[in-house]
Amino acid sequence: MPFSEINSKMVEATVLPGQRLFSQRGAMLAYRGEVSFTPNLQGGQGGVMSMIGRRVANEDTPLMTVEGSGTVLFGHGGHHVQIINLTGDTLYVEADRLLAFEGTLQQGTMFMGSQGGVMGMVRGQISGQGLFTTTLKGHGSVAVMAHGGVFEVPVTPQRPVHVDPQAYVAHHGDVRNKLSTALGWRDMVGRGSGEAFQLELSGNGVVYVQASEEKL
Amino acid sequence: MRLHPQDLLAGPCARYLHSVAMFRLQGSKVLAVDMTGDAVKAKNGSMVAYDGQMTFKKMSGGGEGIRGMVTRRITGEQMTVMEVSGHGTCWFADRASEINLVGLQGDKLYVESSNLLATDAGLRTGTSFTGLRGASQGNGLFTTTVEGHGQAAIMSDGPAVVLRVSRQYPLTVDPGAYIAHQGNLSQSFQSGVTFRTFMGEGGGEAFQIRFEGDGLVYVQPSERNTIAGDV
Repeated sequence: MPFSEINSKMVEATVLPGQRLFSQRGAMLAYRGEVSFTPNLQGGQGGVMSMIGRRVANEDTPLMTVEGSGTVLFGHGGHHVQIINLTGDTLYVEADRLLAFEGTLQQGTMFMGSQGGVMGMVRGQISGQGLFTTTLKGHGSVAVMAHGGVFEVPVTPQRPVHVDPQAYVAHHGDVRNKLSTALGWRDMVGRGSGEAFQLELSGNGVVYVQASEEKL
Repeated sequence: MRLHPQDLLAGPCARYLHSVAMFRLQGSKVLAVDMTGDAVKAKNGSMVAYDGQMTFKKMSGGGEGIRGMVTRRITGEQMTVMEVSGHGTCWFADRASEINLVGLQGDKLYVESSNLLATDAGLRTGTSFTGLRGASQGNGLFTTTVEGHGQAAIMSDGPAVVLRVSRQYPLTVDPGAYIAHQGNLSQSFQSGVTFRTFMGEGGGEAFQIRFEGDGLVYVQPSERNTIAGDV
């Protein structure tokens, strides 16, 4: 596990020879040892095709490759940082929330429409996540940014969890999500409770929620 | 026989009734409320997640009826409140503000409507006149009151400190850092305006609120922009 939390807004990553890290460009705060930062034109892993894929999906964030040996401090914009460890499952997260992740993880993009069809696309639009989201798969850890602190809510088959789309950060595990609406006549006449749209997550896994309704 | 909540609170089941909608803090910025069929009032749109079954309904005019609605409109202490009811756990948060829990046993809490996150449905909310103090806080002339038995959650910019005021020890606070108070307190407005202030040489602490009596004052480690802070 290369990441360790210094405080709630900074993480320290250990870089060893032969092990790559990816991080958001410009997120390095300080480093020790011989570490090189190279801008990653492709915006992550995979070849040119993955890069085009990400560009098209608007899930490309400027990333850099971190290599060498030493320790690096990461932080960005004063946002809270949460470390998520993956053991073979897939993490779904917005690309701009990614602070840093291990090179052992497989990066990909997922079309929202592939989960829930048209409703999936609507959900992406409403939650401001766009039609695509980034997936990270494999063994390794990820540092994810959020406004305010992050808390985990376990999702079990008996207890589906509903999340405010603006407060949703990421989820992993075998979780299906769909947009549920509680639209009534009140919302039409402007007397809504402000909770008309919710993301319903069901299955088995964990969802990460931030203590704020602000996007990054 | 129909039981009223007031009767229950006096009786032996008081403890049970209090534990119905349990407010607890998850970290310092998230409020988790465990509900079993009952309701809480919360700031509109402050839900971040829930499990179980929940319904959200906007309460026009803060849920105080027509009279309350009109009063709130006139006093500018408008708050958009929703009633959350159901079974399960509901999490509330607002712009990563720090949250403080306040337990009320029949006493009155004075808080700015913008700092109030959630209250037990059994608590009554209203408005009261603050006079010059309110204006100095940059919050207007009126404030919100919460009274009854139950819990309320108030928000602050940064972790709030609770300061006790007793007969021997009155307390003076900066209007911009004041967020709420409870108990039997009388407040007065102090100004330290001298001729230096008019010369533009003021210390930035020209106005203060002085609390006397018995009670608690909640102060945040941050100051709102107020007229007082500029002179």
